[in-house]
Amino acid sequence: MAYMIERIERLRAFAQHISFVILMYGGRFGINLGPAVPCFACPFVTGCGGYCYLMGLQGFIGFGMSAAAAGSLWLFTALGWMVVFIVLVALLGKIWCGWLCPFGLVQDWLSALRRKLGVRERKISLQTAQYLGYVKYFFLGYLIIIPPLVTAEILPPDFYLPFCSICPGKSLLPLFVGETRYLALDYTNNITFALSLTLLIFTGITLVGMFFKERFFCIFCPLLALIHLLKPLSGLRLVKNISACTGCGNCRRICPMDIEAVYLEQKKADVQTAECLNCFQCAETCPSDAALGIDFYRFRLFSSSRSHTINTIAWLGKQK
Amino acid sequence: MSDQKQMSRQIRLVEKTAGKMAQESAETLAWLRARDDYLQGFDYFLDLAEKGFDPQSSDSVREKAGRPLIYLLCIQAPLELIHAAGFHPFKIFSGSFAAGNLSAHGLPTLICPLMRSILGAMQMTGNKEEQPWILPTTCDWVVKFPEMMKLFGAAEQRLHWLELPHIKEARESQGLWLDEMVKLKGFLEQLSGRKISRNALLDSIAVYHRAWQALSRLVSLRRQGLLSSAWFLLITNTFFLGKAENWTAALEKLLPTLPCSVNSAKRRIFLAGSPIFFPNFKLPRLLEEAGLCVTGDDICSGERLFPGGVSFKDSSVFGLIEALAQRYHQGCLCPTFADNQRRIRNIEAQAEHFDGVVFHVLKGCHPYDLESYTIESGLKKQGIKFIRLETDHASEDSQNLLTRLEAYSHTLPSSGLRPPSPRERGEGNNSPHPLAEEGRGEGIRCT
Repeated sequence: MAYMIERIERLRAFAQHISFVILMYGGRFGINLGPAVPCFACPFVTGCGGYCYLMGLQGFIGFGMSAAAAGSLWLFTALGWMVVFIVLVALLGKIWCGWLCPFGLVQDWLSALRRKLGVRERKISLQTAQYLGYVKYFFLGYLIIIPPLVTAEILPPDFYLPFCSICPGKSLLPLFVGETRYLALDYTNNITFALSLTLLIFTGITLVGMFFKERFFCIFCPLLALIHLLKPLSGLRLVKNISACTGCGNCRRICPMDIEAVYLEQKKADVQTAECLNCFQCAETCPSDAALGIDFYRFRLFSSSRSHTINTIAWLGKQK
Repeated sequence: MSDQKQMSRQIRLVEKTAGKMAQESAETLAWLRARDDYLQGFDYFLDLAEKGFDPQSSDSVREKAGRPLIYLLCIQAPLELIHAAGFHPFKIFSGSFAAGNLSAHGLPTLICPLMRSILGAMQMTGNKEEQPWILPTTCDWVVKFPEMMKLFGAAEQRLHWLELPHIKEARESQGLWLDEMVKLKGFLEQLSGRKISRNALLDSIAVYHRAWQALSRLVSLRRQGLLSSAWFLLITNTFFLGKAENWTAALEKLLPTLPCSVNSAKRRIFLAGSPIFFPNFKLPRLLEEAGLCVTGDDICSGERLFPGGVSFKDSSVFGLIEALAQRYHQGCLCPTFADNQRRIRNIEAQAEHFDGVVFHVLKGCHPYDLESYTIESGLKKQGIKFIRLETDHASEDSQNLLTRLEAYSHTLPSSGLRPPSPRERGEGNNSPHPLAEEGRGEGIRCT
């Protein structure tokens, strides 16, 4: 059962698919958006249309720390791309996660398959989810700390791009261009073997997780953590009018990340949390007039309403 | 008095009451039919009411619904789940004064008039069959209802209790309620002898979603003051008396024929509080006589008829039951909940559509009675006019109520214009974001 619903959700699905084609196959048509794309546009996909900034960041931190980089054009370009990344995040915020990320779309496909099969979604308990929420910061720390250690020759060069070598995006996304080589174990030495084995294990866990739990990988995504850290720069916000909320719980149930804060918030208007992907499904299914809204700086992009919700779930009647 | 004498007296009394009940119903129906705003489209609902409120009601309803009935009290049992199991959810209610009098002798003086009326009306049918019932533990009257029913000579009934957790925003409560829903599914499956399939559940959700869509359109017309509350209540009251699909079809047919001119001379009010049930349309009648137009309500026989708008993404059987459980529990504004601060917000959030609030308390309906004070103080802080009317199904106090309502109507600002509340004027503004006001702007500002 396709979850293509009216307006926002339909628009989002459209944006996701267009973005998937551009970021995965764009290089084949001469499109390259550069190395500062704030989503999982995996550089290991041959002919991709842009590179995930996590790779650029690891390279920048690693090589940028070396004496060779000091004052070089390379450093200047790398800083330039960092600025581009920050501008892109400031402009679109987590739209990158919910609307444009190719890996996000793959997860949504698997969820759609699960729904079609009538398999129940597995929920992660609130407490576990709280602990798992820290994992993405751990990965972010890991990919920032390891590269300088490689540069300082404390760790062997096999640890270059430490996150990429264990990222399930690297093993799964190239499958869409027919490349299976990142699923193989690398026997070069003990370290490459350990890293490629970890990658395989992570891939397995992620695949199973993505099928049973919506947006499973996003719980651990260090890029989501990085974008969230830049939240003060971004103007896109999910806002709640507490007085209009009747507490029906639609927002919490519909949320792919099972965020509770939007439902529970009783004081402040800003309800955009670290886990939020800005998919705006909550705003779309909120049946109270003007209870949830999407703001871009002072501009109101969308306001929830009963009439919109009726249309949003009208597809139910059309099913079967 | 000998037993035989008592029996024959009781039989005479029942016969007499049946006559009175029929008269009450006929009077209300005649009043509705004779109205200026009567339309042919209302006939379906008038017909349902006429047959459905007959003391032999369950037979008529059973015929109309075309499936076995499950009796319900209150609005927390998911209609979709019952429908998916092949039953027709039949919410029991009665607003008959005569029926209430029949059972008054064996009950406390101050009892919920609705319960009294139901217990009276049930004596009409003899009530000798075993019926499946689903009862959520809402207020004390509902909890004690089966015991009372037994005292009045009802046969052993097949009861299924739903333990309703009264702190609806606590995680534990929500878990408990979900368990109750799974148990309810088991009960329904045992009754029907077959499993509730995913497709049946999806179909039922679609049926009630369509009904909710039609009801929402009716509500939006009402917000603009285009529909009398008497008709609105007739339509919502008859929802359980026939097939939901037919009700929806009749309503969809009626909607385009409704007039679109608005009487701006009338003051608009929000009707809150205890439910109003056919044939007792005293309050809507008096409100109209006092020149008040109801543009919204939060009563459980009106706009809160059923929650509707069940949205979900997980369409497995468990996912659907979870969605239903949450919608019927967390979205419910019944005053029996302990954490009900959202109820007053619900009224405030709609402030642009009315000039004042009329709070209806059925004498003996303690939860609403108590809550009226909280709501009064909350609304007055916002500068919203409030009146509390305590009444029951008797008609003796009509003149008294009318005088009060007329006086109240004079205190209201003219339609559409309400003096800005302290909050709107920016005094005592504690809201953290300009948005808090933004949603409630248009239509209130004085021009």
